[in-house]
Amino acid sequence: MFEKVKDVIVTLVFVVILASLLLLNFIVKDKDISTSERRSLQKFPNISLDNILNGNFSDKFENYAMDQMPFRDSIRSIKTLVKLDILRQKDNNGLFILDNVIYKSIYPLNEKSVQNVASKINNIYDKYLTENDNVYYMIVPDKNYYLDEKSNYLKIDYNKLEKIMNDNVNSNIKYISVLDELENIDSYYNTDTHWRQDKIVSTGTFEKITTAMNINDRIKTPFIPKTYDNFYGAYYGQLGKNVAPDIVTYLTNDVIDSATTYNYEKDKEAEVYDILQADSSMDKYDLFLSGATPIIEIRNEMAENDKQLVIFRDSFGSSLAPLFTEAYSKIILVDTRYISTDLIEKYIEFDKNQDILFEYSTLIINESSTLK
Amino acid sequence: MVFSSLTFLIYFLPIVLGIYYIVPKKAKNLVLFLSSMLFYFYGEPKYIILMLVSITSTYIHGLLIERSINHKKAYLVSAICISLAFLIFFKYTDFIIQNVNDILHLNINLLRLALPIGISFYTFQMLSYIIDVYKGKVKAQRSYLKLATYVSLFPQLIAGPIVRYTDIEKELDERKHSFSNFSNGVRRFVIGLSKKILIANVVADCINTFNASGEKSVLFYWIYAISVTIQIYFDFSGYSDMAIGLGKMLGFNFPENFNYPYISKSVTEFWRRWHMTLSTWFRDYVYIPLGGNRVGKLKWLRNILIVWLLTGLWHGAAWNFIIWGLLYGILLVIEKLGFLKVLEKIPSFLSRIYLLLVVMIGFVIFSGNSVTEIFDNIIGLVGLNGAPLYSAESIYSLLNYALIFVLAFIFSTPIIKNIVLKVKEKLPKLVDILEPITLCVLLVVCISYLVDGSFNPFLYFRF
Repeated sequence: MFEKVKDVIVTLVFVVILASLLLLNFIVKDKDISTSERRSLQKFPNISLDNILNGNFSDKFENYAMDQMPFRDSIRSIKTLVKLDILRQKDNNGLFILDNVIYKSIYPLNEKSVQNVASKINNIYDKYLTENDNVYYMIVPDKNYYLDEKSNYLKIDYNKLEKIMNDNVNSNIKYISVLDELENIDSYYNTDTHWRQDKIVSTGTFEKITTAMNINDRIKTPFIPKTYDNFYGAYYGQLGKNVAPDIVTYLTNDVIDSATTYNYEKDKEAEVYDILQADSSMDKYDLFLSGATPIIEIRNEMAENDKQLVIFRDSFGSSLAPLFTEAYSKIILVDTRYISTDLIEKYIEFDKNQDILFEYSTLIINESSTLK
Repeated sequence: MVFSSLTFLIYFLPIVLGIYYIVPKKAKNLVLFLSSMLFYFYGEPKYIILMLVSITSTYIHGLLIERSINHKKAYLVSAICISLAFLIFFKYTDFIIQNVNDILHLNINLLRLALPIGISFYTFQMLSYIIDVYKGKVKAQRSYLKLATYVSLFPQLIAGPIVRYTDIEKELDERKHSFSNFSNGVRRFVIGLSKKILIANVVADCINTFNASGEKSVLFYWIYAISVTIQIYFDFSGYSDMAIGLGKMLGFNFPENFNYPYISKSVTEFWRRWHMTLSTWFRDYVYIPLGGNRVGKLKWLRNILIVWLLTGLWHGAAWNFIIWGLLYGILLVIEKLGFLKVLEKIPSFLSRIYLLLVVMIGFVIFSGNSVTEIFDNIIGLVGLNGAPLYSAESIYSLLNYALIFVLAFIFSTPIIKNIVLKVKEKLPKLVDILEPITLCVLLVVCISYLVDGSFNPFLYFRF
């Protein structure tokens, strides 16, 4: 008797689960974006004979089904739980969590990619700069640099990466080594890839950079820390596991407060710490210089000199650059992931009154195919 | 369309099951045929015509063979030639051209045709039907719809098991639908889905890491070899479980395809437990017609090698599949010539280790992309290619997949099944309560893996 009841239960449970998901998919409205994963979601694919015959429709429909699944984030978190906590796998899609800090594995060392970055830097130097210019480069370590060797997680050979860069970057470009300056993992957000701006200063990293660039004496006004908001970083949504949010602390002073930014692409001015942008953005890291963009400049109206700084950078540069504000009248940031180096001369006039800094994180250096 | 996709799980399956159970009995085969066409069309729109032409040819030839008195054999040969012509043209032409080019130093252009999904499976099903009609084992099917439903039935269309017409002839006319059948189907389906998603797809990541790694070590070669052995079994047997389960939900009883092959103590036993519908197909339609073992020793040897050459070729148009097939042919001959008796006498753990090593090496050959790669992957197991004993990446992979390997080992044996049966004898209600909960949890976990983008086609789709 109980066997029959069990058969009915098994049948009903199966039918109810599948039918509910089907109904929910029809009822729940499709979303445009995933705030936790920070990406656009696949929309219902176009139905056309071509699309169907060449298989595009079926490929896109599967992505649509994955992306538009109701309660997607909660369902994804079940996988993370099973994979990391039950099956004891060490990572989920390359992401893992240790002591409440989320990491993303970068492995193995991609030597060709490192050489590519060195070559890109050299190309810019050869094209726009001379040996009379003050040119510097620095490598920002990613979070994995501070992984405990005993953790058994894979870690690239950072010394080798640094050596390849040093061997290949033009010797006229002075290297500022900050690999060991950030002290420990606390210098990074728990849920995000980036370093914390307050830690760049408190660990002495910023002082090491300014000393090397010989601009220490031009930064006199102390920084005042301010907190912005709870911050769920990029890794948080990708991992799909509950971790306490970070708090964004940014450093400001009267000089930075009075400075403005000008975004070349959007032809738009904004404040250095763009709270309006951060409020409306999925990524609170957009607080720093309004987020990712090809070229943006910081204009310092209170500057006591007409010196300029050009930073070729990745996203780590967004939180570093404001700290230089007092030392320059203008800081131009170029993100060569979004603009070809050949086009730079349309926007920047290189002259002797400028310092040049190349700032790239090991994340970009080890996977530099995005650099133009 | 694949079973382990959200498109199938949350759109196709509930809608088809809903319509199937709503329509009257007479319309059920039509629903199955149309849904099978949609299932195939969705993944392989261009080749649906090819399948329908094959079905039509088989249908007409079946009737002609039955009605003809003097030309039965001619119709049989015609039917076999047409079916095999499609298979050979799409699957083997480029392999033949490539070898002709290599041997005769020619430069004939390759056709580069996409392989129609499932063509090896449905061709063999149609061949079994037409041969059985010729032998008078079954009557030719007069209803085109029923024959087309048999060949194209979506649960087994693209990756087996190879269901013979005789297996489901009666069920095409009359089948039983009950909660008992349906729930048994759910059990098999969810178990198969879990094998595919929670084990096969997971170790596939490990294999991808190995293939991309520049730090290969002896340990890593072993991890790779173990991973392919796990992946191929859980992928293929998972698909068969899902097919059998779906069949039960729709009232069909498909033949079993796997019976814990990794617990075998010899290659002979292994092939009685692995892809059973294929090995029995070759036995009944190739080996026995050739004379089987009731011939002289040389002919018997020839028969075995032909069957295993064809088995290898059936799996793919590449030398690694041929080598893989012939390896088994040679091992079976050695076992039949006396080694089987040795295996029976030695402790069972030794014969099991022998079998697992043979199977593992076999699947390293099976999975390789080139002879050089295969050779490297085999000699790497004993460090003959100069690889270090271990590397950081291999240690990481071992730790990352350790529990998966243990689970795969356990679920490759009937240990859990036997434990459940024993517990059920003493505490039947406990098992009855836990079973639906376990199935529900497994289904939800599988869906969560799919939502997170673990979409992988089945390995046997290429056959």
